[in-house]
Amino acid sequence: MTAELRRRLRAYLGISAMSPKLLTAYSIWFWMEFFVQILTMAIFTYFWRAVYAQGQEINGLVLQQTLNYILLAQVCLPLIENQLLLEVGHNITSGQIIMELLRPLDYQGVQYISSLTLAMTNLVTKIPLLIIAWFAFGLQLPTDTATWGAFLLSLFLGHAVLFCFDWILSCLAFYTTEVWGLHMARTGIGLFFSGALIPLDIMPPTIQKVVNALPFSQALYSPVSLLSGITPVAEASQVWLTQLIWLTCLFIAARAIFSRAVRKVTVQGG
Amino acid sequence: MIRYAKLYWLFLAQRFKILMEYRTNFFIGVISTVFLQAASILSIWIVMLNVPVLQGWTYEEILMVYGLLTLAKSLNHMFADNLWPFGWSYVRTGQFDRFLVRPIDPLFHLLADRFCHDGIGHFLVGLFLVIQSSIKLSISWTPLLFFYTAIMVISGGVIFMALNLITCVSAFWIIDSVPVTKVIFETNEFAKYPLNIYPNSIRILMTWVIPYGLASFYPASYILGRDIGVIAWAAPPVAAVLLFIGYRVWQFGMRHYASTGS
Repeated sequence: MTAELRRRLRAYLGISAMSPKLLTAYSIWFWMEFFVQILTMAIFTYFWRAVYAQGQEINGLVLQQTLNYILLAQVCLPLIENQLLLEVGHNITSGQIIMELLRPLDYQGVQYISSLTLAMTNLVTKIPLLIIAWFAFGLQLPTDTATWGAFLLSLFLGHAVLFCFDWILSCLAFYTTEVWGLHMARTGIGLFFSGALIPLDIMPPTIQKVVNALPFSQALYSPVSLLSGITPVAEASQVWLTQLIWLTCLFIAARAIFSRAVRKVTVQGG
Repeated sequence: MIRYAKLYWLFLAQRFKILMEYRTNFFIGVISTVFLQAASILSIWIVMLNVPVLQGWTYEEILMVYGLLTLAKSLNHMFADNLWPFGWSYVRTGQFDRFLVRPIDPLFHLLADRFCHDGIGHFLVGLFLVIQSSIKLSISWTPLLFFYTAIMVISGGVIFMALNLITCVSAFWIIDSVPVTKVIFETNEFAKYPLNIYPNSIRILMTWVIPYGLASFYPASYILGRDIGVIAWAAPPVAAVLLFIGYRVWQFGMRHYASTGS
């Protein structure tokens, strides 16, 4: 039993080590992304400064809170813009899925581990970005460990929520064998409803209802609003609870839908 | 010139035959960019629900800036998208050799090789924004104003193409030119908003160094009846100069082309 567990753990560890290697293999791409993100941060900062030029407060948010939120949302953005849909979709349409399913590891588990380590590596490489944002754009970070802890736990839960949601979408590839359009739609909708472009607090109530019905905000708004001070740390447990409920529902759904959809698999070329 | 126009038509007809083989994929491609555009326009709309004006620009006026830039960008997306994969799918594979032995200009061949249908959606979004904005602001479209706008959009498109061309030439040396192109290309995001929300340094950068602003902010100001002087007419000459430089840089790069040798 323990030997079996240890074998599995080693396999997952090996998989998790792959993500950082992939990410840093093409260093010129890495620096390009880095530069583009500084650019986006600059645009957002000037845009919001212009917005606040005529008023102190928008729906209860002052400039500093909004800036903190927007800059941090940019740093956490890779969590929303993941490639899971394309990757799993490609595995399905190319027939690679057969190889993946033959392996003595749980396919979903493998994908989850690599998605999580990729997200973590992404976040670590974004630390210099935080320093630039602090230095050039006036980002203010909290200093107490409680807020950081609340943020990290919420981020972890949010990532899992979105993973399960994307997984359910990926299963559509078994039926449609085309995921590019789905991926683009998912990215656009995700960007807007996760709160990556504007803080959800300033959205009109009708749109907020749609936001709450979709899982995207769990992955971005929930953690980032904790870290930027929009949601007080005292309310962290409520945030976690909501995320856990989302996670439980989507996890059960993801497992059930995958095990059903996988029976549909037809691999071209035999 | 006429020969090239005829040739382009043939290339385009071929490309559409290929695209129509997979009709669903064609339409998915066309609408794929719409979602991303919608996300960012909706965000501006929501922000502008809370503040009526942004540095003297209303929501409808910002749509004009945004729309003109989108139109210019869509021309580049439709007709010059092949500059992006030039490095990895033509230089690295040796495919580019194929162009060199043909009796037409290799750059023309490269651009004509793949009309990108994803740009159609881009174009429609830009058109929608400009029309929406001019209805709301009740702009009277005289033939002259229409002509002015068309010229500015085309010049804007040429500015995009020329800058992409200059940066993609790096593929002759480093093969993977996409990061280089992208770093310059992405600065166009600045030009989606009125340039007067930025500090002077960025405004000068977007006007004279990487002149995407000439494709959006200045023509929009002119169309909206703001007096900005001769700079409203700067886009066509700047586009011509950039295109000339781009072509010379391209020729310089061609002389350094070493094939894959396989």
